[in-house]
Amino acid sequence: MSLQHLWQLSYDSKTIDLIRNAKYAIPVIQSFHLFGITLLLGSTVILNLRLLGLGLREFSMSVLSAQLWRYAVAGMLITMVSGILVFVPDPARYAANTAFRVKMILLCVAILFQFAVFRKVVRSVAAERASSSNTIAACVSLCLWFFVGWAGRAIAFLG
Amino acid sequence: MSILAWCHWLQNTAFATGIRQGDLLFPFIEGSHILALSLSVGLIIMLDLRLLRIAFRSEPVSKVMRQVMPWALPGFGLMFVTGVLLFVAQAEKAYSNTFFRYKLLLLGLAGCNAAYYQWKFYPKMADWDTAPTVPAGPRLTALLSLLLWAFIIALGRTMAYEL
Repeated sequence: MSLQHLWQLSYDSKTIDLIRNAKYAIPVIQSFHLFGITLLLGSTVILNLRLLGLGLREFSMSVLSAQLWRYAVAGMLITMVSGILVFVPDPARYAANTAFRVKMILLCVAILFQFAVFRKVVRSVAAERASSSNTIAACVSLCLWFFVGWAGRAIAFLG
Repeated sequence: MSILAWCHWLQNTAFATGIRQGDLLFPFIEGSHILALSLSVGLIIMLDLRLLRIAFRSEPVSKVMRQVMPWALPGFGLMFVTGVLLFVAQAEKAYSNTFFRYKLLLLGLAGCNAAYYQWKFYPKMADWDTAPTVPAGPRLTALLSLLLWAFIIALGRTMAYEL
């Protein structure tokens, strides 16, 4: 079965028809998408500010990562579930959208980086003091997530 | 001149037209408005969660506040500047938008809520800064803050569907 078939199945589904046709379903789901982004990026930005030695310096990195990691993960889950719910009523439109495609590629890289690299960096002893490797990790993390966000907003404007 | 007429004039200035017609500029400003949420609301949430004793329970409230505010305030600044630019670009439609009006109203309430905390509870914070419980007053402001911001975000997102 090709991806096109899958989009068509999704488009034709009765349950998904409900989301597409209820007047406020999409705005409400989109609002949850933003709540998730606020949680995910809020915690990630705090960890990055601390990693860069720019802010939250009175907290040790171990306290911040222990307190914030669960909010980053919860935020990511809310964002992904709501994102999928926005996608399924109109999959072909999104699949053909360049900004959406760029967003999905960046998103995969950002999630991989978050769990394979960033998670280890913020939990390491070396994270307590600013260093060039911490700076690089923070810059990569911020750039990835911010470009995911900008690409996401561009979906509505670019073809 | 009525407000609507002023909005009409505003969105037809060269500056506003430039923003509206910038193929990349307009989405970039909108994206930045959303990403600034992480700095502003994202950080305020952490203070609210501390007041509700959900996060940072073993850290003094004053410390969380002192560490979060220097970044939350510029975050709100960025939110405000990008928000004003978005308004200017489509002033007439935004002004007539019911969701936008409610958003402004709730923003005002969130401001009052924060000011009330600063006026009423902040001077006495030392009494419960490290205590195992937080008094009902500050806890209520924290809960209100979380609810207000959630509705502000939702109204902001929904208004785009009526523009």
